[in-house]
Amino acid sequence: MEKILDFLINVGKLKGKKRRGWVLHQIKNPETTAEHIFHLAILVWVLGRKKKLNLERAIKIALVHDLCEVYAPDLTPYDPLLPKNKNKIIETLKKWPKFTPALKIKKEKEKSKLETRGIDRLIKKLPKDLKKEMKTLWIDLQKGLTKEARFVKQADKVINFLQGMEYWRKYGKIQRKLWIRWIKETIDDPVLLDFIKTLENKFYKKKK
Amino acid sequence: MDKKFYLTKEGLERFKKEYQTLKLLKLAKLKGEAPKILHSDEMSAEYLAFKEDMDLLESRLFELEYILKNFVLIKKPPKEKQDIVDLGATVVVGVNGQEDEFTIVGTLEADPSIGKISNESPVGKALLGHKVGDEVVVSSPNKTIYKIKRIIYKVS
Repeated sequence: MEKILDFLINVGKLKGKKRRGWVLHQIKNPETTAEHIFHLAILVWVLGRKKKLNLERAIKIALVHDLCEVYAPDLTPYDPLLPKNKNKIIETLKKWPKFTPALKIKKEKEKSKLETRGIDRLIKKLPKDLKKEMKTLWIDLQKGLTKEARFVKQADKVINFLQGMEYWRKYGKIQRKLWIRWIKETIDDPVLLDFIKTLENKFYKKKK
Repeated sequence: MDKKFYLTKEGLERFKKEYQTLKLLKLAKLKGEAPKILHSDEMSAEYLAFKEDMDLLESRLFELEYILKNFVLIKKPPKEKQDIVDLGATVVVGVNGQEDEFTIVGTLEADPSIGKISNESPVGKALLGHKVGDEVVVSSPNKTIYKIKRIIYKVS
């Protein structure tokens, strides 16, 4: 029981961990990693119903997906382009980060390595069966082995897009056009595409 | 109707290899043996996951069988059609004042973080069938214009 207590204390730290992407955008009181995980799990549940998914598995994958951030850095697509001068960061965020295909692959490998190290450290002392389950769900998400994992991977982008559009509406600090471009290059799941269409209509009309 | 899965030659080889490996893994598990694959250099995180979870192994084998029965191989088009964007094309575009590069692949091989976009994504779908110089508009309430600068076929 003590190991589970330690695990929960560690996971609880994500309640106070502000998401780095929003901090870079200078968003006031930005969402934390725990809030992001909660929002994603709800999206996976309510939209996953429209697909033939094992919802329990899908929601568990959503819950596990960013736990690594207790120990791993919260990397953004702009790393390592970000200038040290904080005032210049906003300028960098006005353009989509551009990398060669080889560098994109290298960055993704490094990110995956750091995150896997993070999750391994977090679950290390859990009871064997729980540790096995969490690690299997983690690997599933990384490799896209099941339709549940592939759905969660795309849903993670969509919930981030929703949060970005909410901040755009509230603070206007988000490069809306870049975000819309990114989401339309990234998502191909029909249920999520339908959701994005609804979201765009709602936010575009309101701000106009 | 069965769904068709568009795969590059490399993608197809990877799925075939995974299928063969998982069949061996299942056989070894049923016999209660330590599968040889786990003692080789080919051992990877996903095989460890399959080793731990028989249901995952079964469902992945079932899915791979379905994919291998319903795939369509992405081939390099004949020379006279290589100026048109099709599956397998690497497309250099100008968008929002920046240059970007995508390779259009089927959903199973798509990985936008490394520049592989799905033919079922709004951008992938819109680019298909266009030529160098075309301006492709992806819109709903918001409009994004992709100007096609180059089309390259790296697939064999």
